[in-house]
Amino acid sequence: MKSFYTLRTNIMRVFVYLTLFILLVLTVVPIWLLLVNATRSTPEIQQGLSMIPSTHLIENYQILKSKGIDMFRGFTNSGFVALASTITSVYFSLLTAYGIVIYDFKGKKLMSNFVVLLVLIPMQLSIVGFYQYMSKLGLTDTYASLILPMIANAGGVFFGKQYLESMIIYDLIDAARIDGASELGIFHRIMFPIAVPGAVTMGIFAFVASWNSFFGPFVLISSFEKYTLPMLVKTLRGDVYRTEYGAIYLGLAITIVPILIVYAIFSRFIVNGISMGAVKE
Amino acid sequence: MRFKIKKDHYGYFFIAPFVIGFLVFGLYPIYNTFQLSFTDTTLMSRTAEFVGMKNYTRLFADDFFMKAVKNTWLLWILNFIPQIGIAMLLSVWFTSTRLRIKGVGAWRAIFYLPNLLMPAAVARLYFGFFDFYGPVNQLLVQTGVIPEAMHFLQEVVFARGLVVFIQWWMWFGQTIIIVMAGMTAIPIHLYEAAMVDGATSLQMFMRITLPLLKPILIYIFVTSLVGGMQMFDIPYMLTDGRGSPLSSIMTNSLQMYMKFASSKGHIGAASSVGVLVFIMTTIFALGIFYFLRERN
Repeated sequence: MKSFYTLRTNIMRVFVYLTLFILLVLTVVPIWLLLVNATRSTPEIQQGLSMIPSTHLIENYQILKSKGIDMFRGFTNSGFVALASTITSVYFSLLTAYGIVIYDFKGKKLMSNFVVLLVLIPMQLSIVGFYQYMSKLGLTDTYASLILPMIANAGGVFFGKQYLESMIIYDLIDAARIDGASELGIFHRIMFPIAVPGAVTMGIFAFVASWNSFFGPFVLISSFEKYTLPMLVKTLRGDVYRTEYGAIYLGLAITIVPILIVYAIFSRFIVNGISMGAVKE
Repeated sequence: MRFKIKKDHYGYFFIAPFVIGFLVFGLYPIYNTFQLSFTDTTLMSRTAEFVGMKNYTRLFADDFFMKAVKNTWLLWILNFIPQIGIAMLLSVWFTSTRLRIKGVGAWRAIFYLPNLLMPAAVARLYFGFFDFYGPVNQLLVQTGVIPEAMHFLQEVVFARGLVVFIQWWMWFGQTIIIVMAGMTAIPIHLYEAAMVDGATSLQMFMRITLPLLKPILIYIFVTSLVGGMQMFDIPYMLTDGRGSPLSSIMTNSLQMYMKFASSKGHIGAASSVGVLVFIMTTIFALGIFYFLRERN
């Protein structure tokens, strides 16, 4: 009886690992092919599939450059927007979350529920009204139109609230008040250093969201020299580049390599951060 | 109560930047979009007239719009079902004390990876894979599965299938992580008690796991719906940006963008698409949220 049980478990186990292996192949192979093809020349790619990197990386970059795609500039633009958005989002989200968690003011509960509601509302669909409004303010084609809305990032506040509720030390705040510290000073000098792990997790999510964001910049930014990476990827979709396989793969690889590096370093933070927003309803 | 020194009015100062930021960059644009949707504003003309519900009546009469709404639902549902199904299955396996799967953390971390990649780049990547001269055709012809290379992205089934697959590919890992977090939060003694009573694993799943997982499932459902109704990057980048072939992957957001980017820039008409989808999504999301939440 017992051996039957273990046999069945073992068969099941083989089946599970097989499924996991198939999913692994589905997940990793496209990404690996992308990275490999970025180092292969167009004739090599046309000859057939290969999982082994080649030596045409620099050549592919030069092809992109000669066809008017400056990936380096796109990279700096994206980096700037993503970094500024991240700092804005993390700072103001924590500030708001701290306000909601620490103080018992009238409307606190309302504010708290309101933030959840905002997370559920599809903001992207008001982009047309946003565009026209930004154009009246003269802010279209500026990065400010992408960065400033991060002051009110509901998802960030929601996450910050969950995080702060789990770690705030009230005695510390009281002690600081007795010492005469200002409320904002307490937030900056006492809360922030303790909340660094949460801020890092939040920051990674904000950074990735901004780095990958396409629709907003695509609608709001019009000058070619201000294009962020996803917009350059859109340009790569054009017929001019259609046959430059190696160069296209390189262009795509440049957009994902920084993310792969961030993930390699911070994957634990990221995986823990995902479930945090959801589970503690 | 918690503090010896009360400074609760400071709460207003702390939330003020968010509230102001929301009014300026969140609420006003929504209001402006609503307002624009009742006008015939274009980007090219300075004047605009109030046209009442005309943009809306026109949309409801427009098969193209109805098709976009249907497409968006179809593409979302077809990727959501396998997404949640596989997430549940893998979560059960990963948390099973009988199977004792090794390296759960590593599996999850790998499956989550596609979610972090740029959707525009992912769509362009798959476009390359399924190109007439791409690796998928090469492989299928070489192995003799198909006699000659195919224009995959000119076939409705393949174009839709690919959008669905890419969406699934990018999101199943995240769903696994959330479902699993929910499952591990269920107290183990419930299962122990059920086992003593002689319950089968299927019974335990149906009577313990599923009911206690409900809040998490609602969360996944609602967030996925809100995201799915705004689907843009992948269908836009995969074919010509107009939902080809035969408008089969034309989504709401794509249609809104097409009206916005049309030669005259019909932002009045584009706004009405945004407003309708906005209302539709919000009603569904809140409806699910309220009907399915725990009633105490």
